[in-house]
Amino acid sequence: MWLVFQKELRELIRDRKTLFFMIALPILLFPLIIGGTLYVATQVAIGAQEKTRTYALIGAEYSSEFVDSLAAVEQFELTTLPSDIDTEEEIIAYVKEGKVDFIITIPQNYSNDVLKTGAISLTLYRNQAGLQVVERELNGIIDELSEAYQNAAFDKLALSEGEQKSLLSPITIKSINVADKRETQGENWGAFIPYFIFMLCLQGAMLPASDLGAGEKERGTLETLLISPIERNKLVLGKFFTIGFAGVTSALVTVLSMAVWTALIGVLTANDPKLVKIGQAISDFMSAIGAVDFLLVFLMLVPVVAVFSAILLTLSIYARSFKEAQGYMTPLVFVTIIPVIFAMLPGVELKGVWAWVPLTNVALAIKELIKGTMDYVQLFAIFGSTAIIAGALLAFCIYWFKQEKVLFR
Amino acid sequence: MIEISKLAKKFKVENPKKLSEQDKKDPRLKGRFFHSVKDVTFSCESGQVLGLLGPNGAGKTTTLRMLSTALQPDGGSIKLGGVDILANPVEARRQIGFLSGSTGLYGRLSGRENIAYFGRLNGMTEAQISARIDELSTRLDMDTFLDRRSETYSTGMKQKASIARSVIHSPKVVILDEPTTGLDIMATQTVLNFIRDLKAQQVPVIFSTHHLDEVAELCDKVTIIDQGETKFNDSFDVFKALGANSLHDSFLQAIGQTAITNSASGKGE
Repeated sequence: MWLVFQKELRELIRDRKTLFFMIALPILLFPLIIGGTLYVATQVAIGAQEKTRTYALIGAEYSSEFVDSLAAVEQFELTTLPSDIDTEEEIIAYVKEGKVDFIITIPQNYSNDVLKTGAISLTLYRNQAGLQVVERELNGIIDELSEAYQNAAFDKLALSEGEQKSLLSPITIKSINVADKRETQGENWGAFIPYFIFMLCLQGAMLPASDLGAGEKERGTLETLLISPIERNKLVLGKFFTIGFAGVTSALVTVLSMAVWTALIGVLTANDPKLVKIGQAISDFMSAIGAVDFLLVFLMLVPVVAVFSAILLTLSIYARSFKEAQGYMTPLVFVTIIPVIFAMLPGVELKGVWAWVPLTNVALAIKELIKGTMDYVQLFAIFGSTAIIAGALLAFCIYWFKQEKVLFR
Repeated sequence: MIEISKLAKKFKVENPKKLSEQDKKDPRLKGRFFHSVKDVTFSCESGQVLGLLGPNGAGKTTTLRMLSTALQPDGGSIKLGGVDILANPVEARRQIGFLSGSTGLYGRLSGRENIAYFGRLNGMTEAQISARIDELSTRLDMDTFLDRRSETYSTGMKQKASIARSVIHSPKVVILDEPTTGLDIMATQTVLNFIRDLKAQQVPVIFSTHHLDEVAELCDKVTIIDQGETKFNDSFDVFKALGANSLHDSFLQAIGQTAITNSASGKGE
């Protein structure tokens, strides 16, 4: 068996394509995803902030205070509205045509004495749903003015500070989050990580699997191997371990690269004021996950990889050619995604039925490990049940390998 | 010596609709089963070369696959030196060398590694393997390319490496399934020389072929299979005497198809 393993491994190592999927992809994927997301996000944010927005005012004469505040915003540029625009329909049409980014109407009752005039209602006409910058700036101005008017009103009413407070918000809720930071972030991130890891394991095992089964058929080496004095089950095991080894290597590289890159991201982003916060958050979060948990994540992947390897080898040996094998394996990717997506759904926890759904339970366990809330006893059950599934699949694969109709199709 | 008696093999027809018209007319198709090999009997003594002939689809490859233990027969027996190989196929494989025209090599391994891998699978020690490879390399003139990756080999080089691989464990019988199909003249010559070599070493060789000139050159015995049954099984001289004009006539005579015209006989199988 080890003879087969040894030889297959040697062949594997000499194949650049396989090595790329097994090692290079997991190493590069994380920085690409994390770095790419950060880059795009900051670029979009910067672009949105720097772009100048044009605006027009209706009823500017009612409040010089508000008009001045708007004029002080750097990215806002005042334009004058053509005199023929009067009705609301015309205003809407004007904004819709994109001639101006937004229009604000100031009501006649605008004054800094809100006790006399009652609440002031400004109207903002804007086209794009995503004009968040505009709203943010406007809210800033309005908040500031509101507070000033509020204070003026309070002074007029001669209210004490306590009375002011209770008047502003008679009832408040003080919410205390008992989950620590790691748990909260783990809830957000934890579901995505198993998804990546599973896909990379499958990817890493896929090419060697097609090579070891269908590849042998295609090259005409299978028949020779079958009539060598080695029992079929040993032959299958040798191949199975090679595929498993490739998958585990992929998984190990993935987990390690995840650990290393997230540690690095704190350092890399430290000098960039825009990124330092996100970078710090990610590296803090990752460093909260202990080495033991990383090790457990890795261990949980071992039976999963065994499940993948057995299925892949079964498919591969059935296929007549490399191409056919790849064709059978592609749907497997989709089948694998489904249980992992279950684990990503909100409300799905490692309890009851979900603890017994294969792959979903492992994905959930990995999430729990990342959150730091794993019940370690349950880990044994999940490990065990997945290992049993892997064993059954492997047994089927050996049976499959003895079928003449499979080998000589 | 190797004795094959009343060998039979049937295959389950998974999807009868997929069969070709020709297959459907084949009398070997019975219900859900296709009786590929029904009754094949022949034997080959030490130092003899047996040529296995038959039209395409006659059951030659199936027969040879059963001999090599890749397929399990449904009936009959295969005895190697008096021992039934079906009783312990794994053990029997140590004594059989098998090579087919479509045999490949592991491209990312060198010729030496390819050959050594099968030596190890056959339970040979590293020292034995190395000595045997040296011997075969000299005999087959492989020294110049043996340590290169086999994906860079020419057809002839590949065939040499495959030959060496198939006899690394010094088998007691060598089975060749159309070993010269698709090879150029030089590579074919390598195979034929190799068969001659084996004959000189008293190793029985069974090989299937469509080339009657190879049969004339090498074979002591001829077995003809058609429709899964042995139609002729005797010495080469008896085979030659069957036809009036040529070996092609003999062949057609043996499978019960008399030559249509003398001019067409030159194009037979």
